Amino acid sequence: MSNSFKIAVSSTALSALKSRIESATFPDELDDAGWAYGVPLADMKRLVARWRDGFDWRQEEQKLNNELPQFTRDIEVDGFGSLNVHYVYKKSDRGTGIPLLFVHGWPGSFLESRKIIPLLTKGSGDSQCPVFDVVAISLPGFGFSEAPKKKGFSLSQYVEVSHKLMIALGYTEYVTQGGDLGSRVTAGIARRYGGMHSKAWHTNVLFSMPPENDDPSSYTASEKEGLARWQEFQRSGSGYFQLHSTKPQTLGYSLADSPVGLLAWIYEKLVSWSDNYPWTDDEVLTWVSIYWFSRAGPAASIRFYYEVAHSGQALGTKSSPPTIPMGCSLFPKELIRIPKSWYPGVGDVVFEAEHDKGGHFAAHEQPELLVGDLRKMFGKGGPVYGVVTGRDGYN
Amino acid sequence: MSSYKIDIPPTALSTLKSRLENAVFPDELEDSGWAYGAPLADIKRLVARWRDGFDWRHEEQKLNAELPQFTRDIEVDGFGTLNIHYVHKKSERGLGIPLLFVHGWPGSFLESRKIVPLLTAGSGDARLPVFDVVALSLPGFGFSEGPKKTGFSFTQYAEVSHKLMLALGYTEYVTQGGDWGASITKEIARRYGGEHSKAWHINLILAGPPATQDPSSYTAIEKDGLARFQEYKRSGNGYYRIQATKPQTLGYSLADSPVGLLAWIYEKLVIWTDAYPWTDDEVLTWVSIYWFSRAGPAASLRIYYEVEHAGQEVGSTNFHIPTIPLGFSHFPKELGRIPKSWYHLVGNVVFEVEHDSGGHFAAHEKPELLVGDLQKMFGKSGPAFGVVLGRNGYDG
Repeated sequence: MSNSFKIAVSSTALSALKSRIESATFPDELDDAGWAYGVPLADMKRLVARWRDGFDWRQEEQKLNNELPQFTRDIEVDGFGSLNVHYVYKKSDRGTGIPLLFVHGWPGSFLESRKIIPLLTKGSGDSQCPVFDVVAISLPGFGFSEAPKKKGFSLSQYVEVSHKLMIALGYTEYVTQGGDLGSRVTAGIARRYGGMHSKAWHTNVLFSMPPENDDPSSYTASEKEGLARWQEFQRSGSGYFQLHSTKPQTLGYSLADSPVGLLAWIYEKLVSWSDNYPWTDDEVLTWVSIYWFSRAGPAASIRFYYEVAHSGQALGTKSSPPTIPMGCSLFPKELIRIPKSWYPGVGDVVFEAEHDKGGHFAAHEQPELLVGDLRKMFGKGGPVYGVVTGRDGYN
Repeated sequence: MSSYKIDIPPTALSTLKSRLENAVFPDELEDSGWAYGAPLADIKRLVARWRDGFDWRHEEQKLNAELPQFTRDIEVDGFGTLNIHYVHKKSERGLGIPLLFVHGWPGSFLESRKIVPLLTAGSGDARLPVFDVVALSLPGFGFSEGPKKTGFSFTQYAEVSHKLMLALGYTEYVTQGGDWGASITKEIARRYGGEHSKAWHINLILAGPPATQDPSSYTAIEKDGLARFQEYKRSGNGYYRIQATKPQTLGYSLADSPVGLLAWIYEKLVIWTDAYPWTDDEVLTWVSIYWFSRAGPAASLRIYYEVEHAGQEVGSTNFHIPTIPLGFSHFPKELGRIPKSWYHLVGNVVFEVEHDSGGHFAAHEKPELLVGDLQKMFGKSGPAFGVVLGRNGYDG
């Protein structure tokens, strides 16, 4: 049974945050450090000043509630009991929308569906364009979903809860879109529920191991550059990953107690992972506020990394790829890009689009491009048109 | 040079108390123990004590009474003048061997507290050598000023340490170091060894691997040491990776949240030691040094970044190996150790002791053992006896 949900952060929480920010203590910074050591001090001071005076959470909250119809419902997860799951759910404005589950990652949230939902549900003026029913879940431990209380809530469980949500909404067949951790979750859904339930999946992050007979000399310049970006990411940009995967609780004390610390931790990724996206301060603060005000608190979300690392499902573990059709959208500033020769390890790629702008947060940075790709992939004439029985996105 | 007493301003104390009073805690997964990091019950208990009960003034007074402290300006090439805080205690009898003790992270000059009296003591066995001890606060740590510019790495840490000894009138000296102190004293041995640094002793020995290895020749202890280091890299070096790449990003948390800082450091104090029975006040004194540090807690992280970007990270192949005599003390719960066959990558080992208890913070956990080793290494009939001209640790 679903309950309508409106974000309504309590006034005590708002004043506690304001009071915390008012007593913020900043570190110093080395001369000419720029972004090399992490987020620059000037950015932090400016954002914190805005968060303290000027940023209007109530207004942002209202906008979100107006734009995104939200609900909660209890979903049973094997071994973990019932979790109350928050989600956005918007049906297509016309016709029979293709049921699309959108799965966010870290430091993302349901908020990342904000720009693509109107495009997916309305369609363009063109009647050739398919429409979608969109479900954007808050993964357990993120946004306004409850978090698991026990250890071991890993990919299998995120997969299970996401699938069960779609079933509960009456969608025995559906398709998925995911980036960041959402890509791993949707790959898991495709593996476990593919064919019978998940009919096709789309992602903007591709990862797999090289095939046995891999021939690096055959890589294109783009592919070499993509792998080099991945290596650089591992060398200098994956400290957060290592920490989340090993000592999330230790870091969690900082993120729970310091909104400034949390802001820096997330803002660094918003900037360094996007493609010159012109973040406004209020945009950043809304994004980070979702984490600060999250139901489970900011320390809960990072456990995802630990659980995956300890469940034998770490990135790079060999597993057989899903067999249902998949599509991918390649954005140049994504953290990783694998050579085409590795695609069979990811899945059955029937649709591929390459863009010349955009980064990791594709749905937020380039919503028209991402939605354009989904329309092409699922629309009439596309490689997976009609994949969901009786709901082809048209009248 | 100025005499120095730690004297944290009352505003800083009340700000801290107010922060602690408003602390917000995360939740914790059931039965998570230490697996995910420092347990919630520990942190809550420590924060409650820090808020009410822990008496910083009392600890401060004890430190000032036990450890004679000073500050002086030291010029560092390319970085201007840095005001350096240090402990300096001369031997109570005879001519103490000048010993520079260099701490690491999350350590501080505080780690010299238990060994200073043992090293300088006048009473006791006259067959044992005595030392003049200098324990500096590395720039950016404790009550030393932090550098303002980028690029302050091993070269600079070694330079400031060496210049401090010279400024104190010790043209010849020996060194003891663990954690970063091991690498910094290695750099001192490389740059100033022979003429100034006459011998060095470390309790963290990591280097290599060499170009050719023969794993089948490793002893059980050696295999275990390597395995411990592999495990550390697999599950225990998240802090290292973030500090070496984005110290500023992490720094915002550590500067703004004493609870966050406490957890960050406490986790290492427990998991890197050998069942050391930390008292809450002991932990809180240790962490308070970081919270009240002159440069702030974010500054101390930068050494990881600078070392990484100077191509000098732990384990990197070093070109010039120091030739002065080197001593090792092995403690079983250290983060790792290397096989004997790799020792040539570190230095000229003339002294080695194996212990069956103790961990990473050797000077704090096992002060008698560590001091005993130094007394053996530098005493009469020891392999480094009389290395410092005219100051052999005995009477004349």
